[in-house]
This record gives sequence, structure tokens and C-alpha cells, in this order.
Amino acid sequence: MIATLPSSAWDRAKAGQLLQRAAFGGTPEEIDQLAGMGPASAADLLLGPKALGEVTPPPNVLKPGLTEQQRFLRKKLRLLPPKDRESKARELYRAVRAEQDRRLTEIRGWWLDRMAHPAMAAREKLVLFLHGHFATSAEKVRNPIMLFRQNQLFREKGYGRWHELVLGVAKDPAMLLYLDGSKNRAGAPNENFARELFELFTLGVGNYTEQDIQESARAFAGWTVGWPRKPGEPEDQENTPPVFIDRKNWHDTKTKKIFGQRGSFDGEDVVRLALSQKAAPIWITRKLWRFYTGWVPEGGLQAELAEEWSRLDGEIRPFLKAMWTHPSFYDPQHAEDRVKSPTEWLVGLCRQLGGPLPAPALASNMLAELGQKLLEPPNVKGWDGGITWINTSTLAKRYEYTSWIVAGTRGMQKLAGMDLNRLAIESGLREIPPPLLMDPNTPVTKPAMEVSEKDLRLEAARKARTLLAISPAPVGQLVDPGERRDPSKLISVLTDRFLCGYPMPEEKRKKLMEGYGTGPMTDASIRKLILALVQSPVYQVT
Amino acid sequence: MESSPDLKTRREFLRTGLLGGSLCWTLPAFLNRTMQSLHAEADGALVQGITGKDGNILVVLQLAGGNDGLNTVIPVGHDEYLKARPKIAIRDKSALLLDAKTGLHPALAGLSAAYQDGHLAVVQAVGYPNPNRSHFRSTEIWATATDENQSSSTGWIGRYFDNACQGCDAAVGIALAGQTPQAFAAATPKGVLYQGNWGGGGKKKHREASLQIEADGSMMMEDEDGDGPAGGSIGDIGGPSSQGKMSSLDFLERTEMDARVSQQEIAQASARAKNAVPYPGSRLGQNFAAVARLIAGGMPTRIYYLSQGGYDTHVDQVGAHERLLREMGDAVAAFLADLKAQGNLGRVSLMTFSEFGRRLKENASGGTDHGAAAPLFLAGGAVHAGLHGKMPSLEKKDLNDGDVQFNVDFRSVYATVLEKHLGVKSAPILGRSFPLLGAYG
Repeated sequence: MIATLPSSAWDRAKAGQLLQRAAFGGTPEEIDQLAGMGPASAADLLLGPKALGEVTPPPNVLKPGLTEQQRFLRKKLRLLPPKDRESKARELYRAVRAEQDRRLTEIRGWWLDRMAHPAMAAREKLVLFLHGHFATSAEKVRNPIMLFRQNQLFREKGYGRWHELVLGVAKDPAMLLYLDGSKNRAGAPNENFARELFELFTLGVGNYTEQDIQESARAFAGWTVGWPRKPGEPEDQENTPPVFIDRKNWHDTKTKKIFGQRGSFDGEDVVRLALSQKAAPIWITRKLWRFYTGWVPEGGLQAELAEEWSRLDGEIRPFLKAMWTHPSFYDPQHAEDRVKSPTEWLVGLCRQLGGPLPAPALASNMLAELGQKLLEPPNVKGWDGGITWINTSTLAKRYEYTSWIVAGTRGMQKLAGMDLNRLAIESGLREIPPPLLMDPNTPVTKPAMEVSEKDLRLEAARKARTLLAISPAPVGQLVDPGERRDPSKLISVLTDRFLCGYPMPEEKRKKLMEGYGTGPMTDASIRKLILALVQSPVYQVT
Repeated sequence: MESSPDLKTRREFLRTGLLGGSLCWTLPAFLNRTMQSLHAEADGALVQGITGKDGNILVVLQLAGGNDGLNTVIPVGHDEYLKARPKIAIRDKSALLLDAKTGLHPALAGLSAAYQDGHLAVVQAVGYPNPNRSHFRSTEIWATATDENQSSSTGWIGRYFDNACQGCDAAVGIALAGQTPQAFAAATPKGVLYQGNWGGGGKKKHREASLQIEADGSMMMEDEDGDGPAGGSIGDIGGPSSQGKMSSLDFLERTEMDARVSQQEIAQASARAKNAVPYPGSRLGQNFAAVARLIAGGMPTRIYYLSQGGYDTHVDQVGAHERLLREMGDAVAAFLADLKAQGNLGRVSLMTFSEFGRRLKENASGGTDHGAAAPLFLAGGAVHAGLHGKMPSLEKKDLNDGDVQFNVDFRSVYATVLEKHLGVKSAPILGRSFPLLGAYG
């Protein structure tokens, strides 16, 4: 049996650690609640019910848009005289791209809101893990609907069986496009998906052969994307995004040899065979443990985790609970080893401050600058995580953005590193209309006054600067009047809130207190104090 | 309104944030004072004082995703090549000839000119025994410079820092990339990341679409920076960094300290110099422009590391590969011209590499799958221009599982660069001795 932490060993520090690692952190009150209930109940509370309740999708993402209409617009383009084609094609591309960016931004903002919601946070944390594990990027899969559906797949199946989830991913349209599975057919196999399925998703290097990849690619042949067709009706490519299609005439029905077994295997067989390999439970439990604790399990612990995984038949929700109630999860030797990802940092900081998240376009560009552009992982391996989040450039940016969030950005002329025109486009504050693709003989009425691109950009930047500005964090509500008058007490209260009870050495506490008089502290001084706590290396680890 | 006091506050916060103010509680007080006095000194003082300002410099360019070597350095008119690639082969007339049998991809006009000027060396068929065809594993092998069946927690450049640059400033290595390259991983972490215009107040250039209109009016819409659809699933590859024996918290504290000094230092060096030639607007072009400014600005940096993603051309590779190579060749050409104008061409070497080449035979999707050995480029004033190593045999009997066999171990290239250009002994860094190439002097 897997070891569990006894209730007698449960304390407030562990509750705080669990809240940060399993979810996105929170307020002292939330930590108190978890601390009062024992490890198993705390894990259950965070996990929430197994069934996913109703999910209201972001409002515009599911509407048909320019992405679907592109191929029809391109046909129209071809009818134009050659001299007009290039400029119109450019305009069309800009408009399509802008619409996609706006919708991707909407999904990112919607997702961040869910992460910041206490009742959803743990599930969304798992979705974030799965997004990195089954990394798929909008850079290649441009269609926002497909990326939203994949994200939703993680949410729906994330608490269920691993086998179902992997199968769902193998049939996911975004994944089929990202790893070229959609082109894989008998006689023209494409190995890209089969390779990453073994190397990154289920087994790890060294646990399969090149032959296993080649023959598995053949087994997946025919799993592709296309448009569903109702009997008697043509495919509606203009208004619907592509979905998973199993094309029978692309199947490769010949015998394959995979993991030492022979048969006329199909894609479902490959997933089954891969997950029955000895390496399978080790690979996924290792990755989950590392994601949630920041360190790699070895020896006995690794064996214990893999065994529990097999015992649970790859059921993910109870496995998360088993990890979170394991004594080693709270190993004090590794208390400073887990680096917060940019997303955890942003959501956690806003939650602790009791303020809203920055506007979606600003939030997602901040995360991109910090190395975690949601829906656009750098490659199929996802984010490496851990200390790779931190380098001289990203750490300086984290500190800079920290001051934006704590002190606000109002009055700032520039947001360093941010392209305000981009932010305006992604926020829908600047429209990029598609070109008019009419019969060239139709007279076009010119607008009375042409506005130059430069003016449009300036106007967009001005709008973005004012409408997306971050307000100073409402720090006044974090402390009561008594605490305001007592710097020592104030420091304790704020340290508890932001560093979850991290023991601060006395000399540092003294240093923090220097320069504060005896009168009640102003909001500005409180912000300075908070910045001193959160613009620090120790704030970046959990 | 409240804007003016607010702006002042903002500046204070900025200083607290980036450089550490009086409230900073992670840095010992004496060190903090030292930092502040350093910042207060005149612009140039910090950089001028550091030795090594005139030392040789290596610029590493990673072509991430597995560059198709056979369509980069073309075996002109070779039967096996033409037969294996009916759709994507570069036909004789368009290749830019280096000699009677070898040519560059037509998009590499920039490199062809460098070759004529005597500033480009081509090393043929570079690879290693038992090639691994996983992007990540093969990138790791190139980064750590280990045998295929070995692993190492440090990278070859990191070991160069450990061996030859003890006590150097962290900015002895600068990567212009999304994350620290695995090659930088060292026992004592060194090397900083620099992302273009950060802190310089400049505006970040957004990707521009590059459109190609075909005769029938159909379009290819892809990004100029090559991370777009052409790139497939491999944009950037970073890989794990090493923190030596430090905890993550120690690592953070150290990084914070490096950041305080180096970001400022880099911004100052970059602001001091101007580019003497125009650069392409692509991200790679702009990154090369930034490196040239840092070199001209007197940074004591020995290694610069850049990366261009998008070479994983499994599907419809012709247009995509051409665009990637053009972007690369044009950026390199501008960089070399700039260095020449600065008078620094002689002490700078550029080395390209990719985790593997691609299969000889094209696939059914108009692309190529993961292969093995491939050529790489060395460029600069000190290289011995010309072709090094042999054009690999494409006879079926000489292929390894359908792939080009290596003639030159990649560590021979590293050893040559370390010994002949950076002037250090290579065996302690690479674990053993490798034969040197005649690519310098």
C-alpha cells in the first residue's frame, strides 16, 4: 500500500504548501480551512467532484469565423486581377490572423479566470499539466476552436482513466494537425505522432524501437480530420471546424509487429499496447510527481507511485489524492525546490492580493514574456519547467510585472516589452476588417477620409494603455487599522499571506522594519512592503 | 490627475525591482552597496574594466528541428539524390556552385557571397555514431557533447565556462533565446539571457506575414520567423539547465544577482554601438543585429548563442525550407558585413548546427523525415574557407538505415573551435581528444 500522511502530522504549513502546489495558492483564510480538516479531506476539497459541472465556453470562440471562411475567400481572391491579388491576400491574412489572435486571447483569459476560481483551481492546474504534457501549439494549429476543444478534453477526461485520455488525445483534431497524423495514410505513413506518443506522452526514450514507431504509424493510418456530412447535404466547411474522422480507405490493414506482438493492429491497439508496457506507469507518475513537487522521484518512491497507479488502473483523480497525501510530498528537504511557473505566479499573486487578474491580452502577453505563452508551448515536449523558468531575463521581468500588479500601471506611458497595438488588436479594441473581395468591376465608394496606419496604431495604443491598465492592488483591505499601526505585526501578517508562513530570519525582519516610523502606515508603504516580500527569490518557489 | 507622483513611484519600483533597492532582503548588505556604487559609475567604466574585451568570440547558431542538410549543401547532379527526391530536389541549374559537384541552396546567396569572400567553411557530413532520431535526445547529445549512450548534466559550453572562465562575469555567455540553452549548463552556472529590446525602450517587432502568391492565386501564409506552420512541432528547443548542487532557491538568488548586473550592462553596451549595415526584419536578423551591437559595444562575452526554429519539415517542405534558409543566409550575411565594418570580423566565428539532418528519400507528404549526419557552416574572418570533410556517399550500401553516414564527429568541430579559435585545450572540456579539422588559419 502507498504511504499516507497521518492527520497528526498535518499542519498549517503543509496546508499552505498543498494549496500552492495542487492549486494556485490562495488567502490565509483558505489555508486555515484546509489546515482544519486533515490531509485526505483537504485533498478532496481541492479536487472537487469527479464529474465536471456545466462549462460555459468563452462567448465568441465557438462562432464560425474567418478561419473557416478562409478557403472560400481565397477562391474569391483568385478571381481578382493579378495586380490586386497580393495586396488583398495580405489584407485577408492580417484579418484572419487578428481574429484568431483575438479568439486565442479570449480562451486564455477565460482559462485564467477558471484557474483563479477557488472551486475550479485544482482541476485547472491538472489541465495546465496536461496542456504541457500533450503540448499542442496555436503556432501551427491556427484554429482557436480546435485548441479550445482540446483544452476542454483535458477538463472532461482529466479526472478519469489515463487510457481514455490518451485515446482521446490520439483522436483530437488539434493533435492530429499538430503532429501530422491527419496526413497519415496507408502507403504514405507519417511517423510524427507515433514517435511522440511513445517518446513524450506514454513511455520515454529507450522503451520502444524505431520499428515500433514505423509500424505503429501504419496502425494509426486513417485517423484524420475532416468535415462531418449529413446524408444528402454537402460538407459545411464554411461554418464548421474540422472534426475527427476515421477514414476506412486510408487504413493499412496489413500485419504489424509492435512491442513484440503481431497483428493487424489499429490505433486503439497501439494505445492499449503502449500503456501495457512496464515503462508506462513509471513515465506518467514520474512526470506528475515532478510537476506537483518540483523534484524527480527515485527508487522506492518511484516504485510505490507506479504500483499505486497500476492498482488504480490509471484512474487520475484518486492518484492525485494519493500523491497529495503522501508523506514525501511534504519532504522538508525539497521545500524550496519547486519553482512557480509564470501562470502559477500570476494567478497566485492576484489571488493573494485579492485583486482581479490583468486584462486577458495583457495577462497572456506577460506570461509569454515570462516563457509560458498558453496555447503556444515552445515545442511538442511542452515546457521544461523547474529552474528553466528562471534566467536573468525572465526573473527581471517577473519583478517588473510584480510591480505592475502591486502598484498598478496607471500613468505609465509605456509598458516595457509590450506592443500596445498588438494588445489592442488582441483585445478587440482595434478591428482589422477583412478586405472587400468584390467583382473588380463593381465601383467601390471610397471613404471620405483615409486614416493612416500610423494614426490607427497610435489610437489603438492609447486605448490599450487606458482600457487595459492595471489598477493598484487593493492592499488596504488586507490589513486592519491595528495592524497598520504596528509595523512588526504588519510584517507578520503580510509574510503569512504572501510567503505562507516562510520563516523569516530575524535580521531580515529588522531590515524590513527599518525606515518605517511609528505612525499608521499608508497604502503606499504597505505596497512597498509587499513588493519587498514578493520581488524576492523565495517568493518564486513553493 | 495623479499621474506625476505616480510616475515617480513607478521609477522607484523599477529600481527596486530590477536593481534591488534598500528593501531587498536577499542580498547581503555589503554586496548590495557594491552593486549600487557600480551602477552609479559612469556608463563605460563597468565594461572597460573587465579583461577579455578583445578576445575571440564564438557565435553559435542552432537550427532547431533537424535541418535538411542535403537540400542545404547540394550534391549537384548526383543520381541517387535526384532519384530519391523527385519532388523536392534542387536541380543543378539553380544551386549556387561551390565546386563542380557541390552547391548551396539558391536561397543561400548570402552565404555563397561569404564563400567567395573567403569567410565561409563548409564541414560535410557531421554527426556521431549510432545516431538518435529523437529531436530532444539528439539535441541533448549535441549540447552535452557526450557519446550517444552517455549522459551529462553539463553542456559543452558550460564546461568551457567552468574550465576557462572561472571568475568571469556571468555575461561571458549570452543567449538570445526563449530559454537558457542546455549547452550552457555548467557546474557553476554562467551565461545570461538577453531578449532583444527588453529595457531598451524599443518596440518589439511583431511577426510580419510573408505571402507567396502562386500563379493560380492560391497563397502560402506563413510567418517569416519560421516558427509558423512550416516549423511543425519543433520551434525552439532549450532543454534542462543545470543548477549544479544548488537548490532551486540558491539558483534563484544567484540568478537575481546576475540579472542586476548583466541586464544593465548589456543594455548599456547595446546602446553604445550602432549597426553599420541594415539587417533583415526577421527575429533572427534582429538578434544578429543585437549581437553585433553587443560586440561593438565592448561586452566581454565569449559565446553568443542564437536559435532559429522551424526546420522540422515533415510536410510540404520546399517553400518552407527555402524561406528558413533565406532568412538564415541573409541574417548571417548582414552580420558578417557588420563585423567587417566594425573591424571585428577576424576575432568572431560563427558555427551553425542542427540536431540531425534528414532522410535521403523524400516522404509522401512532400517533406522529409528525421535523418542523421548533415553539413554545418563555420563563418568569420579567421576560418579557412572551403569544403572540409567529404561529400557523403549516397550509395545504398553506404547509408545507415536510409540516412547519410557521418564522416566528421561533431566533437571534432567543437575541438577545432575551442583550440584554434578560443585558444583553450579541448580534451578537459570534451572528455577526450578529437582530431582537429583544418578549418582555421
